[in-house]
Amino acid sequence: MPGTVATLSPARLLLWLYGLLVVGLPVAGLAYALLGSVGLAGPLAAGFTGRYWRALGADTGLLYAALYSAWVAVASVGISTGLALLLVLWAQPTLRRPPLPALLYVPLLMPSLVVAFYLFQLLSRAGWLSRLSFRFGLTANLEDFPELVQDGPGVGIILAQVLLSFPFLTLLFQAIYQESRLAEYYQLTLTLGASAAQFRRRVAVPVLLRQAAPTLLLSFIATLGAYDIPLLLGRPYPQMLSVYIATRLQRFDLRELPSAYLAGFLVAAGLLGLIGLLRLTGRARDTASVP
Amino acid sequence: MRSRLLTLFLALLFGLPFVLLGLLAVGEDWRFPAALPMRYSLAAVRSLLAADNDLLAGLGRSLLLAGTVAVGATASGFALARAIARSRRAAQWEAASYLPYALPPVLLAVLIQPFIIRLHLSGSVGGVLLGLGLVALPFATLLLRSFWSPQVREYEHLARTLGCTAGQALRQVLLPLAWPLLRTTLVQTFLLTWFDFGLTNVLSVGKVRTLTVQVFTYVGEANAQLAAVASLLVLLPPALLLLVNKSALLRKP
Repeated sequence: MPGTVATLSPARLLLWLYGLLVVGLPVAGLAYALLGSVGLAGPLAAGFTGRYWRALGADTGLLYAALYSAWVAVASVGISTGLALLLVLWAQPTLRRPPLPALLYVPLLMPSLVVAFYLFQLLSRAGWLSRLSFRFGLTANLEDFPELVQDGPGVGIILAQVLLSFPFLTLLFQAIYQESRLAEYYQLTLTLGASAAQFRRRVAVPVLLRQAAPTLLLSFIATLGAYDIPLLLGRPYPQMLSVYIATRLQRFDLRELPSAYLAGFLVAAGLLGLIGLLRLTGRARDTASVP
Repeated sequence: MRSRLLTLFLALLFGLPFVLLGLLAVGEDWRFPAALPMRYSLAAVRSLLAADNDLLAGLGRSLLLAGTVAVGATASGFALARAIARSRRAAQWEAASYLPYALPPVLLAVLIQPFIIRLHLSGSVGGVLLGLGLVALPFATLLLRSFWSPQVREYEHLARTLGCTAGQALRQVLLPLAWPLLRTTLVQTFLLTWFDFGLTNVLSVGKVRTLTVQVFTYVGEANAQLAAVASLLVLLPPALLLLVNKSALLRKP
């Protein structure tokens, strides 16, 4: 209505336009994907049908992609968190001295696609490590070198994700360590008779993990939806979720589109549901812990 | 001793990508099982200077895209953060700003692609700009949100009370105060766009050949030398930023 627009202040108009972009566009996309999955939208829309949803039970591709992505995300975030905790809790003096803090910023400047290309050149059977192992007589031919990229368990993908995320998590934990004054708590616990191991296990690790939980969750979701790295270092089967959906959408057969929309809708709705659920449980825990 | 070993190990771990990519960029006839290239040549690097070089065009395209998105997102984010700070529903607007991050960039691109096609923006720079803006704008807004504290509002009021116009208060009070955070936002949104591959590749259907898209194309063509040169070009601006001014990359608490 023109009258409504006329009464809007420039700030409110700006906010509504912003809302249209950041909420309206993704939600409209989600609705379009849902409509596409029931045959009501898309280039070959021919009226309502539930056959793509029913076919989901017979098609294990999406389920495998989800399970494979969950495995890679859990392994990557788990290893990165473990390494970052090790560095922060066992190498505290080194972390405070140059050049280590600056050194940890270097991987943050590497795009994931470049890291994937580098690891492919390093870890593939014709890669640099394989050449070195051949030179040193550890392997006699290409096949002797273990399959570390484009492998079944996703070792290459996990290594690339860890290389990118553990320095970031180390910097994050280090910032929390300093802001939470854990060094002072360490002295206090020693004075009270606890051991260094008890301080790490009962004080430092819970504080660091609790405060870093939202970032860890975001890292998990980012890894779950990773595209660049699995595109280069993954296999055609099983694929990670983003690669699986993008591959299905880019096929020439337009009849594949509704099932690709369905996959996109389910993954997006699943991720949003997961975030919502975690926010709700987090809020409930915070409320319960208030005396 | 243990400390030095750790530092040395991490320096090797993070330095090796530059060494290996450098060797790939200048090495020729580097076949298995040779540990080092047979010959070295700067031909691929030198070809960058040719006027019709595809990589150089990709570099220019990436710089232009990343620069445009960074400037646009930072300027709009500054105004939006102010509007959110003054809104009665600030918390809801902030929560809404996280929505584009709840979804992986490629999935976001897949979801908005039908609208990009309807707008006749598929395969165009405009479509890519819209997609990247969808990610960069809320990022900039959230980053700049912390600037608009009650204290800053008081400074603004004070400037207006002392006779400044709205424009003068913005130019002479607010912008100088916000400059460190604006600089960080500019750099971070630039890098966010600079690093992107998936969203650009899906929305442009491979037609907008930014540097990261070129890396992927050369890898697909098994042209490791040009892929390495393109990768080094991708690494160049962030490395320069880190060398010149680390503080520009980081948000001060």
